[in-house]
Amino acid sequence: MSLEIAGMGWVTPLGTGIDSVWERLLRGDEASATTISEKFADRVYSVFRVPEAALKGISHPRLRRASAISRFAAAAGLQALESAGLKPDSENAERIALIFAISNGGVTYTKRFYHEIVGTGAQAASPLLFPETVFNAPASHLAAILGVTGATYTLVGDGAVGLAAITMAEELMANAAQDYCLVVGTEEIDWLLCDAYRRWRLLRMAPPIEPFSRQNRGMILSEGAGAIVLGRDGFLTIEQAHPGAYFARRAEAEKISKGILCNLGQLEIDFVISSANGTFVDQAESQALQKVVPNALVYTGKPALGESVGAAGLWQIILAAQVLRSKEIPPVLHADESVRVRLALSRTPVPSARRAIVLSCGLNQQAAGLRMAIH
Amino acid sequence: MPQGNGQKTTNDPARVAVTAAGVVSPLGFGLAETLECLRSARDCVTPVMRFSVTQCRCKTAGQVSDSRLLASHGQLPRSRRLHRASHMMIQALQELVTQQPDFAPELTVIGTTSGGMSYGERYYRSLNGAGDLRHAPTWIANYPAQKPVIDAQTAFGISAPCQVIANACASGTNAVGHAFECVRSGRYQQVLAGGYDALAEMVFVGFDSLQASTPDKCRPFDRYRSGMVLGEGAAVMALENLDLARERGAPVLAEIIGYGISTDNFHITQPEPSGVGARQAMERAVESAHIHPSDVDYINAHGTATAFNDAAEGRAISALFNAVPVSSTKSMMGHSLGAAGAIEAVVCLLALQHQFLPANINFTTPDDDLDINIVANEARPAVVNIALSNSFGFGGTNASMLMRKLDA
Repeated sequence: MSLEIAGMGWVTPLGTGIDSVWERLLRGDEASATTISEKFADRVYSVFRVPEAALKGISHPRLRRASAISRFAAAAGLQALESAGLKPDSENAERIALIFAISNGGVTYTKRFYHEIVGTGAQAASPLLFPETVFNAPASHLAAILGVTGATYTLVGDGAVGLAAITMAEELMANAAQDYCLVVGTEEIDWLLCDAYRRWRLLRMAPPIEPFSRQNRGMILSEGAGAIVLGRDGFLTIEQAHPGAYFARRAEAEKISKGILCNLGQLEIDFVISSANGTFVDQAESQALQKVVPNALVYTGKPALGESVGAAGLWQIILAAQVLRSKEIPPVLHADESVRVRLALSRTPVPSARRAIVLSCGLNQQAAGLRMAIH
Repeated sequence: MPQGNGQKTTNDPARVAVTAAGVVSPLGFGLAETLECLRSARDCVTPVMRFSVTQCRCKTAGQVSDSRLLASHGQLPRSRRLHRASHMMIQALQELVTQQPDFAPELTVIGTTSGGMSYGERYYRSLNGAGDLRHAPTWIANYPAQKPVIDAQTAFGISAPCQVIANACASGTNAVGHAFECVRSGRYQQVLAGGYDALAEMVFVGFDSLQASTPDKCRPFDRYRSGMVLGEGAAVMALENLDLARERGAPVLAEIIGYGISTDNFHITQPEPSGVGARQAMERAVESAHIHPSDVDYINAHGTATAFNDAAEGRAISALFNAVPVSSTKSMMGHSLGAAGAIEAVVCLLALQHQFLPANINFTTPDDDLDINIVANEARPAVVNIALSNSFGFGGTNASMLMRKLDA
């Protein structure tokens, strides 16, 4: 069964709104890095944060105490619904499913909550913070804002979780009782995440992200949300969502990526939105792309937007949708000309582009992909 | 390569069999120990020793023995580095694979709430100067929620893609329910479903801070109930297209016949007081199964023993069902959060297979406001053809699942 994209919403370090972020990407803009520190440690990290102005106008009683991750999700979700012309009401409240893709969740509040326990003891633990530490808190807030009463799911995983959420949407939409599925990927940054990824040798201390570089110098974390409304009518078709796979060791990532590309690449593919982010992922995807779709143009938005983990899969889908609609690929930033995949190093017109693959190889053993086409 | 290719085999919904199951919980390791414990209505809640609870109101939990877990899987590569949740998942999956060595799922759907949270806690404490950070990469690598699922699959050569559902305390039932829908739609033939969660200090203190957990015994639906106790564990079930399971000669333990999900949007930690969310989930499960509420013989309630949950759930049950026997087996083993729905699905499976009603222990005084038929304190033999299992979670997420006895 194919799904149609009926609406999209985007909150990123390059701003908010599909058209605005897209224009900046086409111009070759890169998000501004800011530093993030922690009172109990000396190390300072560079991150791409969502500008505060991007969330102006998002207010609801449920968001008053909510963490950034919930506010990003609400902003992107509401944008997507508006662009689809869809208003949840008592008639359709049961028929709109909500699926969230998340990786690290509300880590800022989780850290604050646990800090009180470690520092002062269990009696200091805040009953207001604890509910916000639960993975499904962002989904719960958006469900309450929209008033949806049907299926609400939060999926947890790595960078591939956004595409796993599309597979789940396909599964839910197989039921005629569902008319729409709002899929939201969201993530927030905290110093703790930067430190964890650095200890895992996946983080770079300062930009840029150099995609497909042989040195694997690392990524820069970012935050924000992406949302798409899936229905049975829309402007773009998700022809096939690969259910994904996992790799027990990083060395197997190439084989898994290749398998996904082979499965999705049976039709003519014009371009691929890769998840290359300056880590081991790049070599895995590069090898797989060269072997399976050597002629396809490849784009990765991570040098411009950063690695947003749980939100990243949705961002990739939005990027693919925008290329198919606008018939242009933005420049891939900070890539070396000697890279072996066919990268668009400058803003490139693709007037005949009809079909794309989105490939996502996550940092924690999961991989997934999907194929999209414009009518 | 996964087989879930979106191709339907038939226009009619497929029937969904449970062909194998595995469980580890405070009640025991495996189906046999679990059955024995359920029949004897044993209280398996014990004092917490894993972390300090001196400042907490509640000082007990249902706990799984570390030494038994390690004794079972100590031979696996890097076993001692794995999180306890991985050991629990491996234990549960091992039992399933022993029953059905040929089971080759195309998809795995697992519920959890906390993932490897206790490793996150160690990392944070060490960063704060209270420990050695040499092991930090191991803690970080074993922290993600999908890791125990991947560890368990890897241990038994299963390569299915994983969907990890984190819908708070409803996660386990959501996972089994979604897996059921995936097989029923014809999109998949074999799906592995279940849930896991391991006790973590942060979560324990969190429920204590909400005053949701009790210093007393866990007394679901009792007039003097004062809150929940936490638990831990893992359970998995092999879900298959019933016709194909029979064709290949697989034993059919039970049939899953219905699933309902609802979101009530009332409050992030409290259910809507009238029980409308719980009622919608149960109604949707009944509709999905094409049965009448009077066909249900047993309800394994969410029954956390908090004032709010039991009042809302009790109202919803009495509004829909007429004197159906109800018990909350959390009274015996605590609330294992993301694992609870999966473990309680196994409890329902055992009730159907062995024709008995599991007990709601520590029950002393009926609540005059609740018109429900509690299976008080002792398990008892009964004809059980259809069982309903409820799970409700933070964020107003509600899930119900129906299972039917199926004679071979």
